[in-house]
Amino acid sequence: MTLEIIKVDSARAYPPRTTAFTEPYWLALGEGHLQTTRCCSCAKLTYPPKPICPHCWTDQVEWIEIDPQGVLYTWTRIHAGPAMFAAELPYEVGIVDLNLGLRIAVRLVPREGHDFKPGMAMCMVVLLYGDGPLLAAVPA
Amino acid sequence: MRNAAIIGTAAIPVRKYQRKVEDPIQVVEHEMVAKLVVEAMTDAGVDKHEVNSIVVAHPRPYTKQKYFSTFMANYLRLPCSGIVMETMGNGMTAALAFDKAVDEILLGRSDVALALGVNMEMSVTAAEHMENSVRATGDVDFHSPAGFTPISWYAMDAMRYMHEYGVTREQLASVAVKNRYHASMNPLAQYRTLITLEEVMAQRPIVEPLGLYEVPPRGDGAACLVIASEERAKALGRPYVLIRGRGFFHEGAHQINEVPNDMIRFIAAETAANTAYKAAGITAADLDFAELYAPCTIVEVLVSEALGLAPRGGGARAAQEGETRLGGRIPVSTSGGLTSRGHPSYATPLYNFVEVADQLRGRAGQRQVANAELALTSNELGNYNAALVHILEARR
Repeated sequence: MTLEIIKVDSARAYPPRTTAFTEPYWLALGEGHLQTTRCCSCAKLTYPPKPICPHCWTDQVEWIEIDPQGVLYTWTRIHAGPAMFAAELPYEVGIVDLNLGLRIAVRLVPREGHDFKPGMAMCMVVLLYGDGPLLAAVPA
Repeated sequence: MRNAAIIGTAAIPVRKYQRKVEDPIQVVEHEMVAKLVVEAMTDAGVDKHEVNSIVVAHPRPYTKQKYFSTFMANYLRLPCSGIVMETMGNGMTAALAFDKAVDEILLGRSDVALALGVNMEMSVTAAEHMENSVRATGDVDFHSPAGFTPISWYAMDAMRYMHEYGVTREQLASVAVKNRYHASMNPLAQYRTLITLEEVMAQRPIVEPLGLYEVPPRGDGAACLVIASEERAKALGRPYVLIRGRGFFHEGAHQINEVPNDMIRFIAAETAANTAYKAAGITAADLDFAELYAPCTIVEVLVSEALGLAPRGGGARAAQEGETRLGGRIPVSTSGGLTSRGHPSYATPLYNFVEVADQLRGRAGQRQVANAELALTSNELGNYNAALVHILEARR
């Protein structure tokens, strides 16, 4: 499932680093695909992606594309933030439980007519800034 | 078996001490700390030559003097054959200093050890400080870019708690009112003017649903504890505070568990407390009061529940109904807690021990818990992903 891509006319306030290992994640995200790692031994998913399985410690992991739909576990609206985020205040962040059993903490994108509330259906989206993508979630 | 005891304490009132870098006259950490060490040692009534270990909470990056512990060993001329070291662990930093100083006693390396810490951060604004602290509470590449701040995690706990238990904002806010009442009687507290529930509710939002009075203020502070073997403490012939039990647990998660769990059941606090209760041979019901590391109203509520001081979902109601107020069933945060005593983060846990020692030595003045014999402290890091719990007892 391809993620909605929302273009943002600025650079990321606090850009993530890309490593040789995480590069596939960021490249796929920029094209609207959410990928993470799955253990080839115990089959458990992990997020953020990791070069070893945190559950069974094997280094045999594979990239898979995952279903971006889930439920909002909780959220907050931040009114006092770090200097580098000053231009974005206030902004919302939250925790989404993906239907396939992963818990992810991301920026939330408001949608007209949908107040954030624990338990509401959410879908992952891509915020595509001038310098690269960030994963976010929007009310489904 | 060796036991450890607190025999001396000293702390400065939590205030805004650190000056802007351009100010011609500065306030520096080592001058402040040196005076506190002398004051704590005078309180303890032991000689400086008996100190054989110094454990220091690693200061904030705004403290110019690096390698602060070894610097202080020189500043105070304190040769030691136990250890001279610094601890670091986010909000737990100063609690680890206490814990490691106790270990020095238990290992027999010292009969007297110092645990001290200083937190200076007021030379920078909150917005500048957060540029640094967003790196502490999440994955810098997968969480920080979204703008999560340290207290935003607690705010998300509050949102979930209200959703699950139908708890109101007023009930959470009542914790701040109760703690300000306690702080009004504590000379060490940063904010001592009584506040009403209406005033708490009317504050501007910081991280929804929490407003200004429900999150920690910023401030500077320093404290020093003198820890001794119980044998040494007994020989002094005056009241001391025995460390009866200790528990630690790290849940193996940092802010968020990628495997969905019950985030508002503080499993680390629950597990660490059970270990400490068992070590002390007591239950939560035996406690006379508890002094908690709880940066926000919601944290005090959730950790009270995890420690068994209130039923699940009932922690906010316990505060609202006065159960956790001085004179209530189980007074919590008699110092005023982090929201009113103040939160010089890397020294805060030491202030918790200072409060417990004041109470258990019967010198807490107006806020004295009557017949206080047994107390609990709980300190944490992350979103209570780890907890360090101590049970302390009055010995007279």
